[in-house]
Amino acid sequence: MLFQSTYTRHLTIFVGSLVSLIYFTACQDDNLRKKDNPYEFVAPDNFPVPTYTFYNNKVTEEGFKLGKKIFFDPILSIDGSVSCSSCHNQSLAFADIPLHTVSVGIDGLVGIRNAPSLANLAFMREFFWDGGVTHLDFVPINAIESPVEMGEDIATVVAKIKNDTEYSALFEAAFNTTEINMPLLMDALAQFMLLMVSDNSKYDAYLKGTETLTAQELKGLQLFDQKCESCHSGILFTNQDYFNNGIDSVFSDSGRATISANPLDIGKFKVPTLRNIAVTAPYMHNAKFRTLEDVLNHYDNGLIPSNSLAPSLVQANGDLGIPLSTEEKAAIIAFLETLTDYEFLNNPIFFKD
Amino acid sequence: MKNLQYILCSLIILLFTFSACKKDEVETTYGQFSLNFDNVVGSDELVITAEADHTFPYSNQMSQTFNVQMLGYYISRIELTGPNGAYYEDEVTTGPTSDEVNGFYHVLESDISTQLVTLEKVPTGTYNQVTFTLGVEADYVQQGATGGVLDPANGGWLWNWDAGYIGWGYEGRSPESPAVAGTFNPDNSIKAHIGGWKEIAGNAAMTNNVQRITLDFPSTADVSAGGNPRAHIVMDLLKALDGHHGIDFSSTYAIHTPAAGTDIAHNLKTAFEVDHIHL
Repeated sequence: MLFQSTYTRHLTIFVGSLVSLIYFTACQDDNLRKKDNPYEFVAPDNFPVPTYTFYNNKVTEEGFKLGKKIFFDPILSIDGSVSCSSCHNQSLAFADIPLHTVSVGIDGLVGIRNAPSLANLAFMREFFWDGGVTHLDFVPINAIESPVEMGEDIATVVAKIKNDTEYSALFEAAFNTTEINMPLLMDALAQFMLLMVSDNSKYDAYLKGTETLTAQELKGLQLFDQKCESCHSGILFTNQDYFNNGIDSVFSDSGRATISANPLDIGKFKVPTLRNIAVTAPYMHNAKFRTLEDVLNHYDNGLIPSNSLAPSLVQANGDLGIPLSTEEKAAIIAFLETLTDYEFLNNPIFFKD
Repeated sequence: MKNLQYILCSLIILLFTFSACKKDEVETTYGQFSLNFDNVVGSDELVITAEADHTFPYSNQMSQTFNVQMLGYYISRIELTGPNGAYYEDEVTTGPTSDEVNGFYHVLESDISTQLVTLEKVPTGTYNQVTFTLGVEADYVQQGATGGVLDPANGGWLWNWDAGYIGWGYEGRSPESPAVAGTFNPDNSIKAHIGGWKEIAGNAAMTNNVQRITLDFPSTADVSAGGNPRAHIVMDLLKALDGHHGIDFSSTYAIHTPAAGTDIAHNLKTAFEVDHIHL
């Protein structure tokens, strides 16, 4: 009897501890936004509401892995030479290498715009420098069909994938249908891209109170809030609007006006996110600048006037730009470097299988 | 207590009786209704001219001759209404697989099977009006990549760079259209792709070219159980090209943006009519 009751009591304590352990683990997991399932999309608490239509394309392990295979597969290009990963490298936050100011497609052809980094796409309203695409599903078809990128017709891509024995089982596992078509191809790629959530930079840790910024970084943050934040706003570091930031006075690429048909939009381009900006050189839609110093020098004293120049870049006295001292530039760059998310750049779920 | 049970039992029986009765009262019977899309050029039947064949059977209001090599459009979100309250709304659904996509019809001059749209399960009654969307509305574009007739790998008309669907398209030739190497019109071609669904706040230059069109029937159509009346809908290419905003092929021959398509989009509002009803 005595033995039994002691045993029961011990068991109770043991079970109780176990329950509290699980309970506390769960709590801690919530706080750190860790997921039991790495293939589940979870929006960080301090991010805006996702724009993506998850109700018609929920991220699953099978769909994500299919998307990954497609992302790395040059089958998408006309001559089998270019894949998505050719111009979107994970170690560079899925931007292109600095040597490629504008990306290199089939036959060594070059485009006119700088390949952007890929991160937090689930939260973006519009895509590309001109914002012509309003849904992530429709993004990859542009690279596939661009004559200077992959140069392939989407119908041919789907036909090639249908003829590839490896893919049929993967599509069926991901989508529970024997159909292979463009929307399922795009859904798979979207699932791969949707998990590219970058929310674990030093700055994010600072916001959570788990890391501190240096005096220099804090000074940079303060300057950033005063001088840059009106456009590179919020937790995504972009207000997702379009501005002419004085790169040129004559625009061979009309930018936003290509989509809006509004002459006042000529020379306006989408404000890019600044997350991982330190690893995504070169900068601007036409890759005009190689370094962040060059970018800040441009805002300080390099702006070229034109009709559609952003009013926020014209000072009260009529001078152009945002005056910045050498020390201020150094501090801002120190802050921008805290936006690099090394966990994202090294997350093994994105590694090629 | 016994009384209470008795009352409850009676109430339940009564409730069931009335539910059953009510169901009988509102039970609807259904028939079919078809829309037959017939493309014409003024008083002429529209006939496709082969690409190699440089003949120009038609002429516009500016006496510019032209031919037709391709013509088609999307019809979606069809509604039928009647003078006595009869109403039918075609179900519209989207998704990646073709089974999930309903209510979008890609009418092509080159494929006669696409020109007859049969609506199933139309409540019996008298109808005298059809309303449909010419093109694909914002709500459906914003669902993302969609299968069936909207799949570009399956003949769907998707614009990639300004993502959305071409709602109405005409391609042909006119001797008036200049031949300019390296442009969209290599050989007197005319390409009119009418798309664009966005409305951008504060931007008058941006137009939504998707049209919601309502057509009256010249006579009423009675849908009975097992019946299938058919509305013969005529789309007149001349009205699309002439209309209020006449198209001059010497200057307008390559329409590939929403803004460039606004004149034809405007004309298209009045290019359709129900010519007659087959009972």
